[in-house]
Amino acid sequence: MARYGMLINTKKCIGCYACRTACQRQNDLLPNESFIKFHEFERGTYPHVTIEHVPTQCMHCVDAPCQAVCPTGATYTTEDGIVCVDHGRCIGCKYCMAACPYGARVHNEESGIVDKCRFCTVSALDGTEMCTCVTACPTGVRIFGDLDDPESEVSKQIAELNAQPIDGDLTNAKIFYVR
Amino acid sequence: MSFEPIWGAPIAWYLFLAGLGGGAFVTSAFLRWRHPEAVNMRKAGHVIAPVVVMIGLVLLMVDAEAGLHNPLRFALLLHNPFSVMTWGVVFLAAFMVISLVVLVLDILKKHVPAWLEMAGVVFAVCVAMYTGALLGVCKTFPLWNNALLPILFLVSAMSAGAASVLFVAVFRHADEFNKAGVLKKFHFCLPLIEMVLVASLCFITSYNSTAGFESVMGLVAGDWALWFWLGLVLVGLVLPTALETWLLFFSSKEFEESKKAHIISAASDAGVLVGGFLLRYLVVMAALPVTFVM
Amino acid sequence: MSENAITRRSFLAGSAGVAALAAAGGYMSFGAWEQACADEPETDQGSWSAYTMCNACSSKCGYKAYVKNGRLSKLIASEHDASAQGKICARGYGYPAIVYSEDRLTDPLKKNDKGEFEAISWEQAFQEIGDKVKAIIDENGPEALALVQDPRPNGAFYTKRFLDALGSPNYYTHGAACNLSKASGYAEVIGAGDFSADTANTKMIMYIGRSVADAIKPAHLQGLQKAHENGAKVVMVDPRCNNSTVFADEWLPINPGTDLAFILAMSHVLIRDGIYDKAYAAENVVGFDEFAAGVADCTPAWAEGICGISAADIERLAVEFSQAAPAACIDAGWRGGFGNQYANSGETARAIAVFNTLLGCWNQKGGALFTSGVSAGKLDEEKFPPVPKVEGKKAGSAEYPLASAGMGVNVYAASLAKEGKMKGMFFYNSNMVAGYSNPAYLQECLEALDLCVVVDIQMSETALCADYVLPECSYLERLEVPAFNGGLIPSVSLRDKVLDVIHPNTKPCDEIFKGLAEACGVGEYFPFTIEELADAQLKTVGLSLDALREVGTVEFPEKAFVYGNTPKWKTPSGKIQFTSEKCAAAGYTAAPTWVAPAVMPAGGNQFRMITGKQAIHSHTMTANCKPLMAITEDYDLTRIWMNADRAAQLGIADGDEVEVSNELHTGRCRVKVTQRMNPTAIFLPPAYGCTSEQQHTAYGVGLRSTDYTTYQLETGYGSTMAHEILVTVKKVGA
Repeated sequence: MARYGMLINTKKCIGCYACRTACQRQNDLLPNESFIKFHEFERGTYPHVTIEHVPTQCMHCVDAPCQAVCPTGATYTTEDGIVCVDHGRCIGCKYCMAACPYGARVHNEESGIVDKCRFCTVSALDGTEMCTCVTACPTGVRIFGDLDDPESEVSKQIAELNAQPIDGDLTNAKIFYVR
Repeated sequence: MSFEPIWGAPIAWYLFLAGLGGGAFVTSAFLRWRHPEAVNMRKAGHVIAPVVVMIGLVLLMVDAEAGLHNPLRFALLLHNPFSVMTWGVVFLAAFMVISLVVLVLDILKKHVPAWLEMAGVVFAVCVAMYTGALLGVCKTFPLWNNALLPILFLVSAMSAGAASVLFVAVFRHADEFNKAGVLKKFHFCLPLIEMVLVASLCFITSYNSTAGFESVMGLVAGDWALWFWLGLVLVGLVLPTALETWLLFFSSKEFEESKKAHIISAASDAGVLVGGFLLRYLVVMAALPVTFVM
Repeated sequence: MSENAITRRSFLAGSAGVAALAAAGGYMSFGAWEQACADEPETDQGSWSAYTMCNACSSKCGYKAYVKNGRLSKLIASEHDASAQGKICARGYGYPAIVYSEDRLTDPLKKNDKGEFEAISWEQAFQEIGDKVKAIIDENGPEALALVQDPRPNGAFYTKRFLDALGSPNYYTHGAACNLSKASGYAEVIGAGDFSADTANTKMIMYIGRSVADAIKPAHLQGLQKAHENGAKVVMVDPRCNNSTVFADEWLPINPGTDLAFILAMSHVLIRDGIYDKAYAAENVVGFDEFAAGVADCTPAWAEGICGISAADIERLAVEFSQAAPAACIDAGWRGGFGNQYANSGETARAIAVFNTLLGCWNQKGGALFTSGVSAGKLDEEKFPPVPKVEGKKAGSAEYPLASAGMGVNVYAASLAKEGKMKGMFFYNSNMVAGYSNPAYLQECLEALDLCVVVDIQMSETALCADYVLPECSYLERLEVPAFNGGLIPSVSLRDKVLDVIHPNTKPCDEIFKGLAEACGVGEYFPFTIEELADAQLKTVGLSLDALREVGTVEFPEKAFVYGNTPKWKTPSGKIQFTSEKCAAAGYTAAPTWVAPAVMPAGGNQFRMITGKQAIHSHTMTANCKPLMAITEDYDLTRIWMNADRAAQLGIADGDEVEVSNELHTGRCRVKVTQRMNPTAIFLPPAYGCTSEQQHTAYGVGLRSTDYTTYQLETGYGSTMAHEILVTVKKVGA
């Protein structure tokens, strides 16, 4: 049993959207259905400007508000700490969308199901390494792994870079950011 | 990426109609207590209650597309006892059963037991409050996430329910309408309370966070301002209060029972109904989420 | 199962062959081999995989494509492909959606008398085009025919061969609207059109107008990141604070069109202070003194007044360069700063080649490299009959003598149609009308032709002007000739057929041009299939098609680049030429000196309009692709960028709708008010403004810079001067 999480180092992010389209292709999503969202910040004044791109997605919260409000039990957490959506149980009431503080939930216009990042557990079944966004990122922004394993790359980097959840201890999120 | 409201008009209609149904049922019970002679008005409330809630539920199911495509999934709705929506389903189900039984008893011209009516009132209040609590537990939206909202929705539900019964009565049972003075006085008070609650909601929400401030600004001075001021405040709250004040306190008994007064009263009730819907619609649409990344 | 599906049996057979080859020649890197084996999935009905290369831009990144139930599934980037290096960009993952687009062309089309397209058979299309080509040749000679294409492996081979067979020299790439000035300017100085910065070992690198984080070739992007993470000094010179600045130490928001002044001033400092590589210059350079004399007045203070970068910064950067040399260079760039943008782009390229020479960085570790290449050898002449060499000069080569002979001035060829000198044109993988220069003008040109044939997968603006539109099957539905790639370790990659043909009446490039050649009476030069050609080419380097199919990419480590050698300069003098007689003859000074841009914004509400890249689009190619356009919509990426101070002066707030106009065009869009822009220019995102209604996703979204462009060509070089545009911007309703 593991406790999966991710590190996102925004200092390396160029805001190129490769993670988005890779995720869409690998998870067979609709063109306007994206599990990853992008936040762009510019700081300072011309010509002394810095830019930051912050990609966000499901934070796989320990205290997942989406799971708390889901009336049908479609949203659940696996033994490995991955928050998943059972498509067969979702009625599309969008309550999870309203509850998620990160705007990470996406409504599929065709099926009506509300979906989100699943740490690529679906493609994991066919032998793909977990997390397409991690393998697709051209600049190595993302590291995925077991947070309970102190020897894992993700654990070591979180410690070394003092990575923090995007919004403090709001939901006990398992994606950690370097900013 | 700009924020798109999560729910739209169908859910606003659902929240409104569920409250309206609850309010109509409570109005009937009130009539039984204070105006036992207004039998037809009471029955009208009993008809309105299940019908509008049913329409609301159909809208809800249409909006929940994935369930609409696979209706069996609605059976899973009781799965999570910690979800407000699950509790809402329980309240709605109980209320639907009771209100339908009451309606059938009315149709069969049988006596409706007081305990059944009381039970109906309890669930009616639960349904009305639930529509506020449903939004209220969403921490991300300051306009929703406060204790005022369920109370506001409850008051608005009672107001709309009474308005719907009075609206029907003024056209179909004018004699009973003329005599239902206590109900009218209560009904007169509700928009006043609502006004205070709406003002409090806006005031407190705008101070609680940036997103709250922006949501309120959207209502009072932004994209929704026209609907807010003209629709909700003027048509939904001020106009009914003004008209009823005139009818109740500044006109003669004769005038109060005249055709003209009835039309004015109907206009006031229609205003309350429009305001009731707009309140839900504006609260659903104008709420902005708290910024989590800066 | 597809004919190219890798069965376990064929895989084993193939692997044995490759393994033997690898053992014998040591051609294939073990990593690629191991990767190929590890990725092999269970092959069941309707599921297979094949190696291919992306077509969303000209970088052609290699990846392995997986097919499930006959439909494209996941993509895994090739670790050893020269461009990909294990990554593909947002376009790479998003662009395959175009394959399934409802806007695909499905049948050959002919424009009828009413100007409408009607479907015809391939036989009829070939027959009629062939007859018209023969008539043009009889009447006006083959010089009245031209072809334009944006090179991909098959296109480069088949279209060139087709035109050669017809006897026409008028073969053009898209270059005049892309990197023509850059390549041509470099060629005048160093005899080569490009070079590679050794980003892995550099101590200081400067990018001018190029953003490898916005115009992504993963290998280049990783190079920039590596330079940054190694602690090298990275300087970004760009009117726009582009996304590459994430990995840069400095952003210099230069006034657009003035890079030349900046480089001349840095050169001035190196020479004035004697901090250039004197020995290297003495040994390799002709015309040094003339150049030195020319820049004697190009002081940093002088340049500051033109380019807006402070004299102190110019002094400092020149010194830092000299301290980092020879492990330093100005990056070669591509299109962005001086590929085709300004009246001085070619001269800017010359100045950069000169500056890098002053650093003595050519082929030095950390410097600027001429990496190794590999190419197919001679083929069997029986099977692949050589086409006689075409006599005659490319149209435009006299008027634009500095233009790279391999590229030519494509739009000039089109303009000859108006004079009745060009009668027939072919376009392959080229949307000249929308993308190269003024669309209205180019449309008039194409309409003046007797014959206009466009080969494409969807109805481009250029296709709308055609007499015949021939539908190609998409890049995932066809095998192409191998792509030989240069680099530190040269390699060869394959675009194999991944999917069965989706629209049965579409044909791959090779069959289309073979069919055209036969109809034009020159079919004798195409008596081979694409498989035979690819296999024969690969055999000349000790490989085979089957072997390459198994691994996608094979490297040639024995041909790896070696540091330190002085290249053979392919210039008239055999040396690095700070002076060029050709340039002097074309109206420039023999050694590069300051040339002003053609137009300058007056201020007020007037701006220069510049374009560039967004990481999700490649000009007009990708705009009709739903997953990519969805990003445009989600993030409102059609907005023009405007400097915040200028916006405030004009009363324009972020997100406001504005009217952008000049004498040629007026259009509306929203504004991104930003600190990331030079105040003299607005940045108009590329790729938008599609006017072909049959591209349902792209049609009518955003503005197109070419609509604001005058048809005008850079003196001597022939580029389209894509940033010599002045526009006024005003708030709608103000």
